[in-house]
Amino acid sequence: MVKTFALGSCVGVILIHPKSRVVGMVHVALPESSINPDKAKVKPGYFADTGIPALIQQMKGLGCTGSPKEMVAKIAGGANVMDSNNVFNIGKRNILAVKKILWGYGVSPRAEDVAGSISRTLTVNGKNGRVLLASPGKPDWRL
Amino acid sequence: MEDRSSEIVRDISQIKPLSPSAASLLDIASKEEHDLMDLVQIVKHDASLTAQVLKVVNSAAYGFDKEITAIDRAISFTGEDALVSLAMSEAAAMIYESDLAGYSGQKGDLWDHNLLTALGAKKVAEHAKSPLNGDVAFTCGLLHDFGKAIISGFLENTADKVIKALDSGKVADYATAEEKILGMDHCRAGFELAKHWQLPEPLPSVIRYHHEPHAAPEEYRALVYAVHLGDMLAMMSGKGTGADAMRYVLDNRYSDYIDLAENDLALIMMDIDSQFMKIKESMEG
Repeated sequence: MVKTFALGSCVGVILIHPKSRVVGMVHVALPESSINPDKAKVKPGYFADTGIPALIQQMKGLGCTGSPKEMVAKIAGGANVMDSNNVFNIGKRNILAVKKILWGYGVSPRAEDVAGSISRTLTVNGKNGRVLLASPGKPDWRL
Repeated sequence: MEDRSSEIVRDISQIKPLSPSAASLLDIASKEEHDLMDLVQIVKHDASLTAQVLKVVNSAAYGFDKEITAIDRAISFTGEDALVSLAMSEAAAMIYESDLAGYSGQKGDLWDHNLLTALGAKKVAEHAKSPLNGDVAFTCGLLHDFGKAIISGFLENTADKVIKALDSGKVADYATAEEKILGMDHCRAGFELAKHWQLPEPLPSVIRYHHEPHAAPEEYRALVYAVHLGDMLAMMSGKGTGADAMRYVLDNRYSDYIDLAENDLALIMMDIDSQFMKIKESMEG
C-alpha cells in the first residue's frame, strides 16, 4: 500500500504500468519549480513539473520500460477553501499543472477526483492497483 | 437545534488555570512591544520549561556539536516561536491532545494545525499594509482553534450530517453548522476559554473573530486577518482538524489590510512547511 494523507490543495498523482505491474505515487504541493529550483533539486516531488518526471524516472528504474504512454494515471486532490474571488486557488493551479505535465507524456488521467472544498487521503494498492479515497465524515470510495 | 452553550460555558469554567509561567509568557508575547529577553526571565524561573528548551536546542534538528547548557544562549537559538510553542504545548496539553472525535479528527491534529496556522500568520503579517508584529500573530495562531477541543465532545456523531448539509448548500460553512447544532461555534467556545484563562487582548478577539475578521474591533482587524489567512493556508497544506478541513469561507476583505500576490501564497506555503518540519522535529527529539 502507498498512502498519502490529507491532500488539501496538493494533488496526488498515481501512475500504474500494467505491463510491468509497477505502481507509483507522488504528492505534489505546488505547480512550478521555478519558484525555488534549489528545493526542486532536493525534493523534486514537491512540484508538479519536477515531481512527475522524477516519478517516471523512478518507475523506469523498477523495470517499467517502454513508453510512458502505456501508463494509467489517476489523480486526486487540488481542493480549495471557499474563496469567491478565486485568489487562494493553488489547488486549481496544481490540477492544471499536473494535467499539462501528464499530457506532455501523452497520458490523460483515467480517473480523477479533484477540486471542491474537501481534504482527501489517497491510497493505492501496489498488488492490484486499486485506488481508494477517504475523507473525514464520509464513507471511503473507489477511484 | 439544541442550545448547549450554557453547558459548554459550564465545562469551560471547570478547566484548570494556565500555569503562572505560561500565563506570564502569553502576557508578554501578546504585546506589540516586547523583547525575547523578557521571555528568558520567565523561563529561567521554570525548571521544567528550562529543561524542555535545552532538550530542544540540543536535538538533532539544531545540529550543534557541543551541548548547550545555558538557557539564555539556548533561547537565542530557538527564538520566540519555538519557545512559545514549547510552553503552550506543555501548559495546554489537555487541549492539544484532544482526539477531536466530534470532527472525526485525530489526536495531534489540533497541535499541527495551530502550529502551521501560527507560522502562516507570522509570514502573512510581513505583507500587512501597516506594520504588524509577526511574533504576536504567531502566538495568536497557536491558540486560535482551542475552541474545537472544547466543543468536540458535544459534536460527536455529527460530522457526516454536517458534511451532507455543506455539500447540499444548506449551511454556509462548518462554523455555521456548529452554531446551528450547539448554539455556539468553536470561535465563541475558544473566546470563552480565553476569558476563563484571563488571556490579554488581542488573544480573545483573534480567537473570537478568526472566521469573521471583518467583525473584529478595528484595532485588531489586520492581525485577525493574518490569522484567518494563516488558518486557510494550514488547511490548504493538508493540516486540518478533520471533517471541517477546507470547509470555511475565505473573507476576501483581507486585501484592505494585507497585500498578497499569487506567487506570495506559494512562497509562504513552501516556507512554513519547512519551518513546521523543523519545529516538529526539534520538539519530538
